[in-house]
Amino acid sequence: MLLGIKSMAKRELVRFFRQGHRVIGSIAQPIIFWLFLGSGFAASFQAPGLEGISYTEYFFPGILLMVVLFSGIFSTITVIEDRNQGLLQGILVAPVHRMAIVFGKVIGAMVIGLLQAFLLMLTIPFLGIDPGISGVLMLILGLVIAALGFTALGFLIAWNMESTSGFHAIMSVFLLPLWMLSGAMFPMAQAPAWLEWVMFLNPVSHALLLIRMPLYHPVTELLSSSQYIQAFIVAILWAIGCLLIALYRVNRTQQSA
Amino acid sequence: MISIKKLNYFYNVKKLGKRQALADLDLNIEPNTFFTLTGPNGSGKSTLFSILSGLSLAKEGQVAINGLDIVKHQAAIRRLMGVVFQSPALDKHLTLAENFQIHGDLYGMEPSLLKQRLEEDLTWTGLGDRLSEMVGTLSGGMARRVELVKALLHRPKVLLMDEPTNGLDPGGRRDFLDMVDNLRKEREMTILMTSHIFAEAERADKVGILHKGSLLAVGSPQELKNRLGHEMVVIQTSNKEHAQFLQEQLTKKESVKVWIRDGELRVEGADKNTLDELLSHHRDRFNELAIKRPTLEDLFIHITQDKEE
Repeated sequence: MLLGIKSMAKRELVRFFRQGHRVIGSIAQPIIFWLFLGSGFAASFQAPGLEGISYTEYFFPGILLMVVLFSGIFSTITVIEDRNQGLLQGILVAPVHRMAIVFGKVIGAMVIGLLQAFLLMLTIPFLGIDPGISGVLMLILGLVIAALGFTALGFLIAWNMESTSGFHAIMSVFLLPLWMLSGAMFPMAQAPAWLEWVMFLNPVSHALLLIRMPLYHPVTELLSSSQYIQAFIVAILWAIGCLLIALYRVNRTQQSA
Repeated sequence: MISIKKLNYFYNVKKLGKRQALADLDLNIEPNTFFTLTGPNGSGKSTLFSILSGLSLAKEGQVAINGLDIVKHQAAIRRLMGVVFQSPALDKHLTLAENFQIHGDLYGMEPSLLKQRLEEDLTWTGLGDRLSEMVGTLSGGMARRVELVKALLHRPKVLLMDEPTNGLDPGGRRDFLDMVDNLRKEREMTILMTSHIFAEAERADKVGILHKGSLLAVGSPQELKNRLGHEMVVIQTSNKEHAQFLQEQLTKKESVKVWIRDGELRVEGADKNTLDELLSHHRDRFNELAIKRPTLEDLFIHITQDKEE
């Protein structure tokens, strides 16, 4: 099964790097987004408790999250393309465990998002933040958990969709608001009470904490922070839940009336 | 090798409810047989193919391959089978070698074994020097060959092919079927191919004719054609009106069946008197009259007309 997972994941990466426009778009888009929005909101950003933090810095974890979220999820669109092109049926008739199909696709798409996030992480020293080696490792852990959960969600949605345009539509009305309401663009503390609840129930908010907190807190502090532990548990459960549902759906591919 | 008993399959059609795609299907395919399942579009060929390849699950009836129940032993059966789909199952963003590698990985093949098999198979398919080419650059016929090689890499005992010549020009179709012919001479393998082209079915050892989910006839192409018991009179007219006129005249005769196919009038059961009448009274209405051996399509029309009557 491991060979199947490796093969499927590698295929996702090879396809990605062979499509130059995808590579350029996925790297340029978050940087442009970050720099333009960061510069635009810089003057008006005044959040209590966040004095001394520029909007570019505040927005940075949100951009990292955006990269792993959107890249991971949109990479799973290949599930729909594979089905429409007939590739998927060739995989489904192979004697490989269904789990290999899910994990292969998810890991491949996840790695694409993580590679972009790692590239973006090279700008951390220029923001004046020093998370240290352990902080960077915790940040990577947070990115991996976030990427796993949301890429699995992307896989699940793509598995049930017949057209790529439908997938884009669902992602635009579902994923973008989830990201915007995660605290990526503005602090949760400033939001109205009802919105705070929405943000709290939003799994993306918890994933964001796993990315933001390691930038400012040492590992010992993180592990004793109830807020971090709670975010960690929610994000892990979200990832496991999405993977399990994806596996269940793939196993139910054979249908009969 | 392939045993199907009382197989029923239903589709759920929105607002219309259940629709039967296969009805009480019984079929037995002996080992090392080249079997072609033919019939018009919508006859149930692809549904049966989907069940045999493990993509659809039939709850009514029994299907066994090499003595293994298709529901209970899915993984074992998948190892026994090579599958060529109607639509290409190749990644056009990857090279031929990369596509073969993925197939090898999915079937758990060691790299050395994969290399050895590729060396063997690429020679007879003429693909040897194209391994590093992207699949997207191949012609339709070449891509089908790649599909065939891919399906055979793990040396299946059963090869399933769903309308494999679809989309190919006549030359490409002929080349592909020649390759299949050569293959069965060299390897011990049971081949099940579906095709809506009756002429393609004539190359098989045995043919099954499917219509509206039921198997109408099974046998060797010659046996099936002999069932008609007589030769066909084929008449070519210069226009549709003449063809229709002749059809009306001939249909009045007892034991004569007439149908129009590809602009030709095909007459079954015409005796000497009928031919005399055609030649003496209606000679100005046709360009050519010939006596030909019946085809499988003639048999199909004969049986389905009988059923409808």
